[in-house]
Amino acid sequence: MTICQFFLQGRCRFGDRCWNEHPRSGGAGGGRQQQPSGSNRRGWNTTSQRYSSVIQPSSFSKSTPWGGSRDQEKPSFGSFDSGASASRNRGFGLSQNPFASPSSDEDKDEKKLLEGIVKDMEVWESSGQWMFSVYSPVKKTPNISGFTDISPEELRLEYHNFLTSNNLQSYLNSIQQLINQWRSRVNELKSLNTSTKIALLSDVKDGVNQAAPTFGFGSRQAVTFGSPGFPVNNSSSDSAQNFSFKAGSGFATAASGSTSVFGNPPAFGAAPSASSAITTSTPAFGFGKPEITSAASFSFKSPAASGFGSPGFSGFPASMAAGPVGAPVAPAFGSSSSVAGFGSPGSHSHTAFSKSSSDTFGMSSISTSLPVSNGSTTTDNVLFTPKDQLTAEELEQFQSKKFTLGKIPLKPPPVELLNI
Amino acid sequence: MSLFGTTSGFGTSGTSMFGSTTTDNHNPMKDIEVTSSPDDSIGCLSFSPPTLPGNFLIAGSWANDVRCWEVQDSGQTIPKAQQMHTGPVLDVCWSDDGSKVFTASCDKTAKMWDLNSNQAIQIAQHDAPVKTIHWIKAPNYSCVMTGSWDKTLKFWDTRSSNPMMVLQLPERCYCADVIYPMAVVATAERGLIVYQLENQPSEFRRIESPLKHQHRCVAIFKDKQNKPTGFALGSIEGRVAIHYINPPNPAKDNFTFKCHRSNGTNTSAPQDIYAVNGIAFHPVHGTLATVGSDGRFSFWDKDARTKLKTSEQLDQPISACCFNHNGNIFAYASSYDWSKGHEFYNPQKKNYIFLRNAAEELKPRNKK
Repeated sequence: MTICQFFLQGRCRFGDRCWNEHPRSGGAGGGRQQQPSGSNRRGWNTTSQRYSSVIQPSSFSKSTPWGGSRDQEKPSFGSFDSGASASRNRGFGLSQNPFASPSSDEDKDEKKLLEGIVKDMEVWESSGQWMFSVYSPVKKTPNISGFTDISPEELRLEYHNFLTSNNLQSYLNSIQQLINQWRSRVNELKSLNTSTKIALLSDVKDGVNQAAPTFGFGSRQAVTFGSPGFPVNNSSSDSAQNFSFKAGSGFATAASGSTSVFGNPPAFGAAPSASSAITTSTPAFGFGKPEITSAASFSFKSPAASGFGSPGFSGFPASMAAGPVGAPVAPAFGSSSSVAGFGSPGSHSHTAFSKSSSDTFGMSSISTSLPVSNGSTTTDNVLFTPKDQLTAEELEQFQSKKFTLGKIPLKPPPVELLNI
Repeated sequence: MSLFGTTSGFGTSGTSMFGSTTTDNHNPMKDIEVTSSPDDSIGCLSFSPPTLPGNFLIAGSWANDVRCWEVQDSGQTIPKAQQMHTGPVLDVCWSDDGSKVFTASCDKTAKMWDLNSNQAIQIAQHDAPVKTIHWIKAPNYSCVMTGSWDKTLKFWDTRSSNPMMVLQLPERCYCADVIYPMAVVATAERGLIVYQLENQPSEFRRIESPLKHQHRCVAIFKDKQNKPTGFALGSIEGRVAIHYINPPNPAKDNFTFKCHRSNGTNTSAPQDIYAVNGIAFHPVHGTLATVGSDGRFSFWDKDARTKLKTSEQLDQPISACCFNHNGNIFAYASSYDWSKGHEFYNPQKKNYIFLRNAAEELKPRNKK
């Protein structure tokens, strides 16, 4: 990267956002600051500390003036960004993204990575290149989840097989499904909301347990993608167990997918780095926030999935009654199609998790009032709990600014308390 | 409806196939056309080894057949023989003495075709289509190496129905190349493994892929002492990576280059990116040829890091390529490679194999 000339002069307007390189020589930075106005710097330091305490991790919008837009209303801040000490940046790094590790250099790398991914996705879409390919943002990193590798020959062979069995329509359907999944995944990566970012970063760091996308084509008579489906396999059922059993890590992986759900959980600040590899993009919880992702809120509703969704779900009440949910849960997910459960890059089924977690989290009161709507789609019951159904403690938790670990309610919050 | 969106199709650049009546873009390079070419897409090409006098070309196609032509010095091609599989043929190779041809097919088998007797017998069995087949001639053993989508690499003594050895791959085998004592296998999910074949085949190293997308083709190159020293890896993203196994300076010696893309200089319109379908190294000069889905072939000098030549665009993708044993003939096959899905598949379209004189064009740039 080219060295930023303005930064060297101490007057780079973009600061952290700058596309050129700001050589991080702490001594130079400090030294440079001495020259213009020493007292000014002290003044800035105090104000910055005050600001960083005000900006809560939850409200992302507030942090944008610091680093969001390149055209900053206060150019004087910009000049300080350039010469700012690392600690100041660290403060802001945290305020912008509570899950980032506290080093500004890493922040920069991550941003570069994410920008690179966005660019690559745009090129991929516009260039007309082969879409059924895995992808990794930087050459040495593992593949990003949500993409499957299918070679043109494999696809062609499937076409011929279906042709001979006169089943071309199912081939076309499968292709369409594959394409839709690819497209939704690419759009997800292009738009990069916080949950995908976090999932991506953990992908890149920990590696993705993606097993082979065994072709759903195999079953000639089957409708679309029968059981083998997509990366639903052993590793994903493992993560299913992670979700169900280990309370701590279960929450961790959940948090990485749905930060907005639990509001501002600084308790989970360290979660993503600790989480085991997440095979899918964002297995968001169904608690509360209905607008987490673009796909239909429930797999019950989505037509293609419902066929698959229900067998898995109908198994639930029985298995929950039976006690340990682990084993029955995992195969229910493992065998159901890509839509219900984990393996779906595109769609997200929420309720599945809400059911499994409630049984095995040994945490606070297991609320039997958790509605198990087994196919009936009264979404209000499952998404929010009416206020009267909450215990006093749960209500208090919802009303407080942050959750306290150990007292996190298992039910979704009531509608009234949500400020969307 | 178009599943793959808009495409800068073949035949829209310059001379359009559909509109104009006179120009036909199937052979813009005016190369020699091989007679009685296969009826469906050609997946693989292979020339006979130097032990056989003359030049014989083998091509496997998606019409389940393997055809053999004799290529005479005049350029005339004479169809010699043909064998059938029960599934499309994905790879072919010759034995070192030029008497046998090995063919790998989607019917999960590989066959050995004795050209003298014109008999073919099955020598290998997999659980999934066999994607690659290579003949290994070592001082103490000889065998056939088959790579399959069932994630295994099997080594066969042609006399026995059980494999001599089975090696597990991390994923489905997509492409492979062998130059004794080195073998390279590229798999799905960007897997890349190098094997050493001395004594018996064993895994030498797993390499982090230098490319970001799906691997498509691989070819080993040799150094000045005629020893295999590295490989070229092509992906679906119009990019080829040159990778040395033990370079003095990996960061500088290994590199990637973009190829088979449209709109070279025009940066405003989004570039069209095509897959690299095949890579072949010139046996004498060490320069390489790449063929892509865009219907072009290019010659490159990897040491000078320059492009030597790019062809005109054919109206179909070029799906395979091959040099003959002395590097005088460059063969490339023009047929649909499924890069745009089933919609652009036209069973009526003729498939071609072209032969080009490669003695001059592949000379390396300034000798350093």
